[in-house]
Amino acid sequence: MRISVIRTGGFAGIERRAELDTSERPDATHLAALAHQAVEKGAAAAGRGVPDGFHYEITIDGRTVHVADPHLSDAQRELVRTVLKEGA
Amino acid sequence: MDAYTNSRRVFCTIVPPHVLDKLSHHDDPLVAGPARRTLERDALERTRRRITTVRGVTATLEGAPSSKPRRTIYDAEHETRLPGKKMREEGGTASGDESVNRAYNGLGATFELFLNAYGRRSIDDSGLPLNASVHYSEDYNNAFWDGEQMVFGDGDGEVFLDFTIPVDVMAHELTHGVTQYTANLEYFGQSGALNESMSDVFGSLVKQHVLGQTAGEADWLIGKGLLAERVTGVALRSMKAPGTAYDDDVLGKDPQPGTMDDFVHTSRDNGGVHINSGIPNHAFYLAATALGGNAWERAGQIWYDVLTGGDLASDAQFTDFAQLTVAAAQSRYGEGEEHTAVLEAWAGVGITDLGARGER
Ligand SMILES: [Zn+2]
Repeated sequence: MRISVIRTGGFAGIERRAELDTSERPDATHLAALAHQAVEKGAAAAGRGVPDGFHYEITIDGRTVHVADPHLSDAQRELVRTVLKEGA
Repeated sequence: MDAYTNSRRVFCTIVPPHVLDKLSHHDDPLVAGPARRTLERDALERTRRRITTVRGVTATLEGAPSSKPRRTIYDAEHETRLPGKKMREEGGTASGDESVNRAYNGLGATFELFLNAYGRRSIDDSGLPLNASVHYSEDYNNAFWDGEQMVFGDGDGEVFLDFTIPVDVMAHELTHGVTQYTANLEYFGQSGALNESMSDVFGSLVKQHVLGQTAGEADWLIGKGLLAERVTGVALRSMKAPGTAYDDDVLGKDPQPGTMDDFVHTSRDNGGVHINSGIPNHAFYLAATALGGNAWERAGQIWYDVLTGGDLASDAQFTDFAQLTVAAAQSRYGEGEEHTAVLEAWAGVGITDLGARGER
């Protein structure tokens, strides 16, 4: 499973993107579960969000959802953090 | 409970809508005004969130607006539930946590500029309590205004430091609240860039007011002190020279334009609200430095008049805003140097042809 995250907006307005492939990871099952939950609660289109809030575009095997701070579910937040931190 | 359901706390939900409806027709405008605004806001917000928790007391209905701030600083304790643990209230003793104290002081400095320079009593001009949470999330490289309060991250220490370090960053967030309660500029495209610019303008003015600097003495930087040591850059934005604040391996280069010729068309960042704000930012810098003296006095007053005057549409474009500043300069100061400075400032960023239309 390929998971990519693009983070835009924020006070600095600096974009960050990262992607990871779960197949090479020991936590593949956990990430797949997070991804499933994350997509379930995401929106199909980007909203305007709150001033200076981060926007996240999460793509999982070709399916993209949009979420924005501070309204991330725990699963979405963990997924986004993991991908941006450990993805390339 | 997840972060989503827990993060929404609304000052209006404490009072049932039917009570607000009654208050909104109250003879005393101090009672009716806030109640009416609350109803309007409530209706707007209801569509986009679930309200599950009710906390606190609605302070906007508690009588006359005060000339003193009412600050409360919370510690989110590295979680994302807001507001978190109460750390310092108005008049309370200093905390052992410097982020808490910086937020307390930053909110105070912002309240003071709006009150002293423009006679504005807090975000809503009716004494709205100022709430902020520090230590939001972990290694969080951001600060934001969630519609009701300010939220500050600690930074990851690698790229960004604590967002409560620069006073202009805290003032920037509070000003998003002022904009929300006044022109309510839509956070998208040019109106969104104007919204961002308002926050940078008054953010910078708060810093200048704190430091007692004139327009000529100020550095006109936004977020100085926020970048970690290893980052090549001085700040996040420069109103004096947009596009020059940083140029770094990790951050990339400051993408801000300073004139309309370099306006950036993008779908990211709500249409580049943090990018194209460089254009109105630079116009303010040009007007303020042409006039000299304290920037919050004449240039700031003109910008404030437009933001709060009621003629600025929520979907205003740069030209609409520019036009209103020309008109505001004339109506407050006549045909003098202020009028000329404002016209020339906009011409300096490539927005011309304002004179004739500006006179109406
Ligand atoms: Zn902002």
